Amino acid sequence: MEKEENQSLDQMFGQLEEVIGKMEGEEVSLEESFELYSRGMNLLKQCSQAIDEVEKKVLVLDENGDTHEF
Amino acid sequence: MKNVYTVRQVNSYIRNMFNQDFMLNRIYVKGEVSNCKYHTSGHIYFSLKDESGTIACVMFAGSRSGLSFRMQEGMQVIVLGYVSVYERDGRYQLYAREIVRDGSGALYEKFEALKKELAEMGMFAPEYKRPIPPYVRKVGIVTAPTGAAVRDIINIASRRNPYVQLILYPSQVQGEGAAQSIVRGIQALEKYGVDVIIAGRGGGSMEDLWAFNEEIVARAVFDCRVPVISAVGHETDTTIIDYVADLRAPTPSAAAELAVYEAGAAKEQMAAYKSAMRRMISAKISAAGMRLQRDAARLGAAHPRQKLDSKRLYTQELENRFRNRMNMRLTQEKHRLDLCVEKMKMLSPLSRLSSGYAYIQGEDGRGVTGIGQIEEGGLFTAYLADGRIKSRAVSCEPAVYPSYDKEDEKNV
Repeated sequence: MEKEENQSLDQMFGQLEEVIGKMEGEEVSLEESFELYSRGMNLLKQCSQAIDEVEKKVLVLDENGDTHEF
Repeated sequence: MKNVYTVRQVNSYIRNMFNQDFMLNRIYVKGEVSNCKYHTSGHIYFSLKDESGTIACVMFAGSRSGLSFRMQEGMQVIVLGYVSVYERDGRYQLYAREIVRDGSGALYEKFEALKKELAEMGMFAPEYKRPIPPYVRKVGIVTAPTGAAVRDIINIASRRNPYVQLILYPSQVQGEGAAQSIVRGIQALEKYGVDVIIAGRGGGSMEDLWAFNEEIVARAVFDCRVPVISAVGHETDTTIIDYVADLRAPTPSAAAELAVYEAGAAKEQMAAYKSAMRRMISAKISAAGMRLQRDAARLGAAHPRQKLDSKRLYTQELENRFRNRMNMRLTQEKHRLDLCVEKMKMLSPLSRLSSGYAYIQGEDGRGVTGIGQIEEGGLFTAYLADGRIKSRAVSCEPAVYPSYDKEDEKNV
């Protein structure tokens, strides 16, 4: 598997579309399909992580470059 | 002399007339500033003039919040205030509450000049526009920490996606030092590291929005490596920063919509991808399963045992046919034989003898069937069922038997 951790959600969505496009192709073997499927599922997991479902409080950035809650 | 009035009475009468006048109580007057004096008490004394004349004006220290710039001789201004009488001098003057620069004059010219200059420098060129990342994690906001703009941005952004981190740089957005404050905000957020910056404020007059027309703000936006969305005032307000920004949002709310993607939609998209992949992989698997079954059937059919089996079956069938044919033939022959036996039985003389008939044989050994074959006194042998009798013919006489039928003879 390539390094996919540092990619943006946009890039990962793009790759997912690519994976799905390949899977739709007739000439893909079953083995390749399994590989693509596990890669796609992995990408989806990373997409979820990228969304990072923790509600964020608004932070205020001060003159010293420090942040504190709004 | 009757009807003589004091100066005080006349002045106060005139003053009352002025004060009761609806229009004079709240009036905008525009003109050029002259004889401007900032008094140590904090009051400002000046005159407004145009081609036709002048009017005396005063702004008391208590109203100074209505003035956001330093008035200079020759400035075009608009004064909001009321006209009343200063009794001591016996003259009327304009008491100013707010003073703004006449926008259609100096400010607008300044705006146009800067816009032209920056455009010529290429700062508005589309090739310098950075794309706004579609899926951001951190959004920097440069605006006043109080007011509708920041509230709108926070509301819209957290409604669309509460998982995106908002970082506010509270800046001054109007008055002295506002431009510098906005510049510091943009630079601080760039240094802190955000995916996109929204810089703006709510609506206001051209003077209120002026900080966003300053060249240093335009340069800070241009130099910022993080994409900047401008969000100044309302749809109809246009400032220099709108031209330099990577994207212009008509309002702060719209900026939040442009900067922050909808978490719900992204999740739906992911669910759609997931089900598409599931569907495809299971289709692939079932297709492979079907192919396996088909191939297994074909392979089974191609096995040598299969050929042997079919030959054996054919042999069996041939044998059965052969046997049947044989049996049929045998039965047929047996019937024929039975028939012959029956016929033989019917034809046998023995059966006749057993019912009492005799067979007559002459001396020459031939069967006797008529009286003419034997002479009187001649010898013959009569064969019976259990033996024979040697006999001599005593006499021979013809006889006629009744209703003798040739047909019946055969059935005997």
